[in-house]
Amino acid sequence: MLTIENLTGGYGETDILTGINLTLEAGEILTVAGTNGAGKSTLAKAVVGLLPRVNGRVTLSGSDITRIPAEQRARAGIGYVPQTANVFAALTIVENLEVVEGVKDRKQRIVEMFDLFPALNERRRARAGSLSGGERQQLAFARALMTRPDVIVLDEPTAALSPIMADESFRRIRELARTGTAVLLIEQRARQALAISHRGAIMDSGKVALEGQADGLLADQRAAELYLGVGH
Amino acid sequence: MTGFAELLLSGVMSGLIIGLAGLAVTLVFGIARFSNAATGDTMTLGAYGALLGTTLTGSLIFGGLVGLLAGALAAVLSYVLVFRQLANRSPISSLLASIGLAFFVRAGLGLAFGHNQSVFQLDIVRPIRFLDLRIQPNDLKFAAIALVTLVIVFIILHMTPIGRRMRAVADNPLLARVSGIAPRPVMFTLWAMAGAVSAIAGIILGMKTVVSPEMGWDMLLPAFAAAVLGGIGHPVGAIVGGLVIGVAQELATPFVGFTYKIAVSFIVLLLVLLVRPRGMFGRVEGVR
Repeated sequence: MLTIENLTGGYGETDILTGINLTLEAGEILTVAGTNGAGKSTLAKAVVGLLPRVNGRVTLSGSDITRIPAEQRARAGIGYVPQTANVFAALTIVENLEVVEGVKDRKQRIVEMFDLFPALNERRRARAGSLSGGERQQLAFARALMTRPDVIVLDEPTAALSPIMADESFRRIRELARTGTAVLLIEQRARQALAISHRGAIMDSGKVALEGQADGLLADQRAAELYLGVGH
Repeated sequence: MTGFAELLLSGVMSGLIIGLAGLAVTLVFGIARFSNAATGDTMTLGAYGALLGTTLTGSLIFGGLVGLLAGALAAVLSYVLVFRQLANRSPISSLLASIGLAFFVRAGLGLAFGHNQSVFQLDIVRPIRFLDLRIQPNDLKFAAIALVTLVIVFIILHMTPIGRRMRAVADNPLLARVSGIAPRPVMFTLWAMAGAVSAIAGIILGMKTVVSPEMGWDMLLPAFAAAVLGGIGHPVGAIVGGLVIGVAQELATPFVGFTYKIAVSFIVLLLVLLVRPRGMFGRVEGVR
């Protein structure tokens, strides 16, 4: 579904990503973990088309999308939930969904999103800037899901959430993957994320330091000591 | 009392013109993220376009449409030829380029039409008497045009898909891109709207006073002030900001004289910003 080959790149002259190789299949959850500054969010931006300078190759269902602008990648089937500023704060909830481009049968899809996130339906005319952290996260998910993406990139979706809300988010991510969507999950709560994932990759200094089955990484002593936080 | 009411009416008319120019400033700032110093000269271009159209056809309405289209086209061209090339640079680059563009447009108009003042040939009509007030029928028409312009801008921004996309880009340009919103149609629409609104302001100003190459440049500071006073990026705020400035200027005239009335409007601006630093309609948004 999504293939990343020898990906390097960054914002200015210096490479932040140095030779990333990853694959992601339909219905699979791939957690990307690592310390702050490892390049996880930069990898997310490279996949969705927001990294200014990229070398290597990114393909979606066999098509090379490396040089395609972000708006076309979104229409081609890549959804993205950024870590911060992930809703249009000045627009209402329903406008946040209506504004997404590349949606087939938009009205029906909005109904489906409100069925999936009933709390949003109750406040559909409220401005997104007035929502709580949890509601905002739901709206960010709904906005990214409007296009029925083949791949969704989630950049630390539980970062500002309470433990209960984070559990709810992980549950939704698992359900999403069951519908066939491939999930690239960037997470600081690495143990929880790996627990719901099929595979995992641990990044260090712009490279993939460890990669494998999620349960294997959870059991890996070196991964636990260096990157996952023992007992975390 | 009658004198006060007439000054108030005159202030409302000046305020609507300043407000329309402020609306053009705030539209561009909200989406393209810089203060467009060529707004005033786009007003002038619109006024000369209308003057030329009216002279050629004898119709004020047709002339007005020519001016409006000239303003819209000039603004779109300025985006394509200048501001799009600077989109990835600092907003200061675009601001400086817009000052250069303003000089270029003004010099071009001076070369084409000369530096003498020109006037629209409007029918002389008897003022409407209301109580002791004398109201010029043309002023009512100009006010109606300004309000209709504001309503159309509001409808485009809030009730059409392109308007929603414009507000999304204004709110969060990167999120707009990953939501599939292509920047180019949004930017073309924005510049066409800003140019048309500037032109309407210039045409009304030209019809109320005289047309000269410097007329728009003189309006630039009040237009910036209206945009800031209303809350930068807020269209209704720009119009209300313009009205406050226009009314403050006119009401202050008997006390401070014509020369210093502009200073009064900036004192009002300072006082409002001391109380509400984000302007009258500016909002603080929490962005997690």
